[in-house]
Amino acid sequence: MSDGIKLDLKVPLERFTLELSWETGERWLGIFGHSGAGKTTVLETLAGLRSRATGLIRVFGTTWLDSARGVCLPPEGRGVGYVPQDALLFPHRNVLGNLLAGAWRLPAMENRRPSPERVMEVLELTPLRDADVADLSGGEKQRVALARALCSGPRLLLMDEPFAGLDLPLRRRILPYLLRVQEEFALPTLYVSHDATEMKVLSREVAVLAEGRVLARGRPDEVFLQSSILPMVLEEGFENVQEGTVREAKESGFLLEWEPDLCILVPKGDLKSARKVVFGLRAEDILLALRPPEGLSAQNVLPGVVRGVREELQGGEAAGPVLVSVATGRGGRALVASITRQALSRLALQEGVQVHLVFKAQSCRVLAAR
Amino acid sequence: MALFLSLKVALAATVVVLPPGILLGLLFARRSFPGKSALETMAYLPLVLPPTAVGYLLLALLARDGPLGSRTLGFDLDILLSWKGAVLASSLMALPLVARTARIAFEGVSPRLESMGRTLGMGPLRVFKEITLPLARRGLLAAGVLGFSRALGEFGATVIVAGNIPGKTQTLALAIFNDLQIGRDEEAQLLVGITAALAFVAVWSVEFLLRRPRSRA
Repeated sequence: MSDGIKLDLKVPLERFTLELSWETGERWLGIFGHSGAGKTTVLETLAGLRSRATGLIRVFGTTWLDSARGVCLPPEGRGVGYVPQDALLFPHRNVLGNLLAGAWRLPAMENRRPSPERVMEVLELTPLRDADVADLSGGEKQRVALARALCSGPRLLLMDEPFAGLDLPLRRRILPYLLRVQEEFALPTLYVSHDATEMKVLSREVAVLAEGRVLARGRPDEVFLQSSILPMVLEEGFENVQEGTVREAKESGFLLEWEPDLCILVPKGDLKSARKVVFGLRAEDILLALRPPEGLSAQNVLPGVVRGVREELQGGEAAGPVLVSVATGRGGRALVASITRQALSRLALQEGVQVHLVFKAQSCRVLAAR
Repeated sequence: MALFLSLKVALAATVVVLPPGILLGLLFARRSFPGKSALETMAYLPLVLPPTAVGYLLLALLARDGPLGSRTLGFDLDILLSWKGAVLASSLMALPLVARTARIAFEGVSPRLESMGRTLGMGPLRVFKEITLPLARRGLLAAGVLGFSRALGEFGATVIVAGNIPGKTQTLALAIFNDLQIGRDEEAQLLVGITAALAFVAVWSVEFLLRRPRSRA
């Protein structure tokens, strides 16, 4: 497979050996896991910074590592754009100087190197062009680090929790930049995070890592519902992440086309218009009703069918909230609601039961719009 | 006269000692290899040995029958009892200080920044030129100034290798000794004043260089 990524890695670490096998044709990949799971090691191995790694790395037809045949490209020969957790900007250069640091790339990659001007425009860095990197805020530093990686014309972008050091609101503000980068530069990306919401927005295929082993792999909306993975996500609460096309910009919000003949109202925030909106909706903000409710203040009511009920088990005992996955509309696009165990038995919910999903427009958080 | 000779010797010694000093500093800061600590101890020896002992070793090395003597090599290096001898002696005495300061300067550069440069497509040499060297610049400058100061004050090794020939190898430090020996206290005081002023400037600029800069100069 020349247009995909194939990994078969073994990296001895202090506490465990990282083992990763992954072959995929997807271009937007994620690695999810708690800190210490070996996520950064995967990125550094791909970047060529781990000399003890053995196995195979093949990226879009080029072999970066094949220890069986003694192949190991040095970092400068791989063409990665690495955005580390702590930005690692060069303190002796200003913003533009940092962006130009990757200008040494092999000429073969020249043609796909975007101009610094364009990158600065997309990431809204143009006013900071001549700024000293020591004077930048945390979010700005991360954007410069991302811009520097982009300007080097990489074949693969490696992002290591680039926003882990930032507070949540700031992280959410930077998410749109990442989406814009995905859209504008269409770069294959491996994104590492312990934030399930970010992962759902940014990746098409995700591997869940714990103690150096892959627990699960697949589409993020499915993987995060697996019973072995769910507890890892539930700490921060399950959040639905969905995208919709704007059909109408109303006074009260954007009316999104959700399914044929089915719309959702989401808040506009400070946006005036948008074509597409990515929004998050927390599972506990969705109510379930057996009959169509009337006279509600909540603006969104979607009919649907229960597709699955996922109970979280703790030490073999059922505990905590229950996640109910509901297929809505004719297309069956799923949303996940979180209810109590008592509610589950009271409503006698099980697969195939018809329900109505109820949620406020204000419960939908707009994560990104374009 | 002694002042100019001293400056000339110290400058030449700085030029001579900087490349090996920086190389050793880099080696000690970044590489691990068998025998590293032995080499490191050797390089730092002149710091603790009596300078006269170092001078004696150099003399033994360069004497006519020594391993680098005129009879062994077949030609004369013309170092003993010349200003070049003073340069050699004082650069060897300055080496530990230069290597140590350079080592600290390189250790202050995060290896992760260097790795970052590699992922951006720079080869190891380019990383050294574009990242390591500029980031260690102030520390390396300080190493140079320290080496210069050390060379300027060098006495023991110099007097053995280069002698104490007025106008030829008599540097400030030697001249002070000389003047005291023959009771020319006033001349000695003047020379002490000059060396004190030079030392003050040197130490002050090292402090300035090693202070963490708030923003780039």
